[in-house]
Amino acid sequence: MKVEAGGMALVDKYCQDYGSRARELKGQGRKIIGGLCAYVPVEIITAAGFVPFRIKGSVSEPITRADVEMETIVCPLVRSCFDLAVKGRYEFLDGLVIPHACDSICRTYDVWKYTLGLPYSHFINMPHSDNDTSLEFYKTVLNTFRKSLGKFAGREISDDSLLQAIKQHNENRARVRQLAGLRRSDPPLISGEELARALIAIMSIPVEESISLLGDVIAEVKPRASATGVEKPRIMVVGAQLDDDTFIRLIEDSGAWVVADDLCPGTREFWPDADITADPIDGLAERYLQKIKCARTYREQKGTYPEYLEERFGHIGGFIRDFAVDGVILYIYKYCDPFGFEVPAVKSYIESLGTPVLYLEDEYSKSTIGRLRTRVQAFLELLGAK
Amino acid sequence: MTEYFAGVDIGSTMTKVVIMADAVVARVVGASGPEHRRLANRVMESALADAGLGFSDIAYVVATGYGRINVPFADRQITEISCHARGVASLVPAARTVIDIGGQDCKGIKLKDGRAVDFVMNDKCAAGTGRFLEVIAEALGLSLEEMGELSLQSQHDIEISNTCTVFAEQEVVAKLAEGVAVADLAVGVHKAIATRIHGMVRRLKVEREVVVTGGGALNTGLVRALETKLGLPLLVSPEPLLSGAIGAALLGKDTVRDAAEKGIPVTRSRQPLKEATFFS
Repeated sequence: MKVEAGGMALVDKYCQDYGSRARELKGQGRKIIGGLCAYVPVEIITAAGFVPFRIKGSVSEPITRADVEMETIVCPLVRSCFDLAVKGRYEFLDGLVIPHACDSICRTYDVWKYTLGLPYSHFINMPHSDNDTSLEFYKTVLNTFRKSLGKFAGREISDDSLLQAIKQHNENRARVRQLAGLRRSDPPLISGEELARALIAIMSIPVEESISLLGDVIAEVKPRASATGVEKPRIMVVGAQLDDDTFIRLIEDSGAWVVADDLCPGTREFWPDADITADPIDGLAERYLQKIKCARTYREQKGTYPEYLEERFGHIGGFIRDFAVDGVILYIYKYCDPFGFEVPAVKSYIESLGTPVLYLEDEYSKSTIGRLRTRVQAFLELLGAK
Repeated sequence: MTEYFAGVDIGSTMTKVVIMADAVVARVVGASGPEHRRLANRVMESALADAGLGFSDIAYVVATGYGRINVPFADRQITEISCHARGVASLVPAARTVIDIGGQDCKGIKLKDGRAVDFVMNDKCAAGTGRFLEVIAEALGLSLEEMGELSLQSQHDIEISNTCTVFAEQEVVAKLAEGVAVADLAVGVHKAIATRIHGMVRRLKVEREVVVTGGGALNTGLVRALETKLGLPLLVSPEPLLSGAIGAALLGKDTVRDAAEKGIPVTRSRQPLKEATFFS
């Protein structure tokens, strides 16, 4: 589609009415496959001719319907996603793919499947260790998904179409890296809030439209003159899935730039590409199981403890250096087991680099904003006083 | 000519204003209440009257505390973390750790060279705060001061196992029904809150001197219980209620001094002394 109003305007439109483009495409006969988390192998969905669509929650909407099927021990993000789904917000979905990303996602698969009752539902039994045995198992799992989705599509997913989809998604990721890289300058050419919105918008559209939208956004942002004289602390946000811009805006409104992240959607899922391999499943399996550094995957212990921490969190150190980060905000949802487990280790790793860390535990709700503001402002004052 | 600086600390329970030159020249403590947007200027007016000053005599006003954004006449807003750090560092220069027990929150601050370098705050519930003490004191039919004093007379060790304020209140009521002495329950309550605060501040690696401030510092029983938990002697801030406001005034003074050193003009809000409205 042609974009007249500029990339950011379209980004705003997609963020304001999340899913509006998928709804349109559905009207044109496309099939939409929803999924939770960055561990849905979107390349396979694209190769089948479907539109992969990331289900998101809403921090501004109280969870009212989901409480019947999901107790509060389930993480608030998953509950919010499900709440919107049972309220009919994602009525355009033809299918649902749930990966074993974390327990909150895995153990609610039955609830999703039987409550929504979509024509297609599939569970991806993703292993939790990054070793080679798990990798072999995971390749089988991906092939099972490929066959199952091919059956739903009424045609087998060929190697060629899969390779084509992998190349497209790699190109999409390269565009995100280019856009996110515009935060290296001081001040950054794109604010953390704008980037967050762009990344939320592209979760809801087909990959070919995402590539074109990101191209427009880059063309719009790149010529911006880097304003001078305004010195603000450069912040990196580390956390699980942050599919809302409220928290990023809070940090930037408090007098800082969010210049780097280890988030989804964010660098975690857009930095690693899938290699083009003879069997396309090999490259995909390596990308999802080994290259994406998410707390949900257990890394085999190697070497000394500092070496092990470097293996797990070295990429965070890389961003801190590359994007000249002054301070890190570790932002974790209550009841997020995988990220909760890692807090002491990731905190001590970042502090060992001499970078201050603010650890915040939050509830995936706008209601906590006042409390967060005091902590964020205090952290920025502390960085400014150095 | 003497330069005066004002610190306005709007806490969840109390609004505190100090006016300082080299030392504090006026201090006013009032209840915040739901109308704190309207009250900040009245508390300020009463402090000015005490000091015999007009608002134009004040060189800089810093607002802090949870209501800090509702002080339109302030030149700058600074969080209570930085203000408590600055206030306590000036009141007790040897301080390395600050524990502030407020009405609605509780925080630990690590100090280095008179500045905050790290902090922790309690999250989203009343456990470990003044509100917890108020609720339990009410259940025991005591004032806060009475509960603190009475706990020192206790003969037995009682455990209150719930940290949730509502459940702890139920537990206290049940123990009263069993015939447990009120003094012993008061000790149990102080131990419970001390455990909670200790669990939070130890993440900072507490170092001496440790200074307790905020309304909770006025409760001797609680300070004793916290000393036992931490295994360290505690110093009570000489100005438990005003540490934040004093810090705010001093940070205002620092701002004016830094600007003068750099030879740049001080940016002031230029808002008159009047109450905040919902539209300002």
